Amino acid sequence: MPEQAKSAAGLALTSFAVAAAAAALENAWRPPPSADAAPAPERRAAAKRLNGAAALLAGAALADSATEHYRGAFHNKIMVLPLGVAAQALGASLHGAAARGHRASSARGLGHALALVTGIAGTGFHLYNLLKRPGGWSWLNLFYAAPLGAPVALSLSGMLGGLAERLRAGRSLFGRLPGRLVARLAALGLVGASGEAALFHFRGAYHNPAMVIPVTVPPVAAALLLAATLSPRWTGAARGALRLLTGIGVAGAAFHAYGISRNMGGWRNWSQNLLNGPPLPAPPAFTALALAGLAALKLIERER
Amino acid sequence: MSGRYPGYDVLAKRHTPSWNEQTRQVIDRRLALPREPRFLAPDEFATLEAVCGRIVPQPAGRPPVPVAAMIDDKLHANRGDGYRDHRLPPLREAWRRGLAGIEAEARRRHNAGFAELDAAEQDALLRAVQEGRIAGDWEGMPPALFFAKRLVFDIVTAYYGHPTAWNEIGFGGPASPRGYVRMEFDRRDPWEAAEAAPGREAQARRDNARIG
Repeated sequence: MPEQAKSAAGLALTSFAVAAAAAALENAWRPPPSADAAPAPERRAAAKRLNGAAALLAGAALADSATEHYRGAFHNKIMVLPLGVAAQALGASLHGAAARGHRASSARGLGHALALVTGIAGTGFHLYNLLKRPGGWSWLNLFYAAPLGAPVALSLSGMLGGLAERLRAGRSLFGRLPGRLVARLAALGLVGASGEAALFHFRGAYHNPAMVIPVTVPPVAAALLLAATLSPRWTGAARGALRLLTGIGVAGAAFHAYGISRNMGGWRNWSQNLLNGPPLPAPPAFTALALAGLAALKLIERER
Repeated sequence: MSGRYPGYDVLAKRHTPSWNEQTRQVIDRRLALPREPRFLAPDEFATLEAVCGRIVPQPAGRPPVPVAAMIDDKLHANRGDGYRDHRLPPLREAWRRGLAGIEAEARRRHNAGFAELDAAEQDALLRAVQEGRIAGDWEGMPPALFFAKRLVFDIVTAYYGHPTAWNEIGFGGPASPRGYVRMEFDRRDPWEAAEAAPGREAQARRDNARIG
């Protein structure tokens, strides 16, 4: 494997983490002036969509960290933490998605912030786990050490949930209109999730042609979504791609269930094959991010 | 049972996902082997049992692994390894000549059958076979080669192919169909035996009660 490719992958992952951290700090410190023009019911509808996407991401992070950290026998006691944080993030997101009122909740906001920070810290722990292994920064450890991309799902859930609260509060987001910001976040998440799928599907030697789908469709959808933030011409195509992607996330989980059945003993050997087979909670991340992207498109249309 | 893996019994996994029908059949067959020889003559079998008792002496207090019966089963089925040293005859012939040679050497040295010798005499004789210090040749089969490539190999593989020996060394039994999910050094899958750290025997006993 060429060194440049390794460095590039490392740089991409690191910059992803840094961008997430920067967004968190900015979100926490900048005093946001009240500026959004959209009426409360629409903001609330958009916020609920983001809450739904955040709930799906938090649920996936909960299931994923529970199975994978059990697999790792909770060797480091802190491996219990993401289970608790993801569970409360899921609760906060579901609470937001079901909320009747229009008002923002600082309790939910705190829950989302906790998810964001835990995800960033988790990426640090996973990086430490990777680097301390023999061989350090190598393809082998990228494949088999703690996955660098996994904790980011929790951060993304936190960010989407945080944005939902901001929308409810009618606050501008870093002085910008919220639609484009949500779109950029969803696009960034899609590219990151697609990168992780590329890494692990490469590890699986793309033995099933369908394994190419999550490596190719999400970057296209992300590009269309970004294009739609610039020009309304792209909105239709972006919406189509994102709708397709919501289905791909569900189909991916079905494919992974099929992959589990193909391991020795199949589903009857579930206690082994849930751990050993393709991760069931991974593909729904695409559905969640696509839903966030669709919510962003609605906001952008309104802003225009 | 052993001190290192307290409470561990590999057979407790019989009805867990660690075993499937094939596993159960193979292990059942191994556990149900007839104790009487079907290939070797009774006197040959008595010699083999005495030899096994010196190569893998077994502790009192548990049913012994029927090593000689396992080897007789291998001979009965003529189950070769798929390869052999070209200086040795095929499986059955090698054992026939080898056991006859050991018996003849015992009669020459002590005027008694190998099984009737005391442990020190048996050990000395086996050491002589191991080092090739044997009068006469065994129909052209080098005794030292028979000792290293046939006698020790078959006895040790038979012994450690038995669940009783697995319990002793904390072997998890067949990895298939279960497979491993914790592949780092010094990590234990939930179906593997828990080794007792000094002073932590109770913890290992608890873990071993849960394997499956």
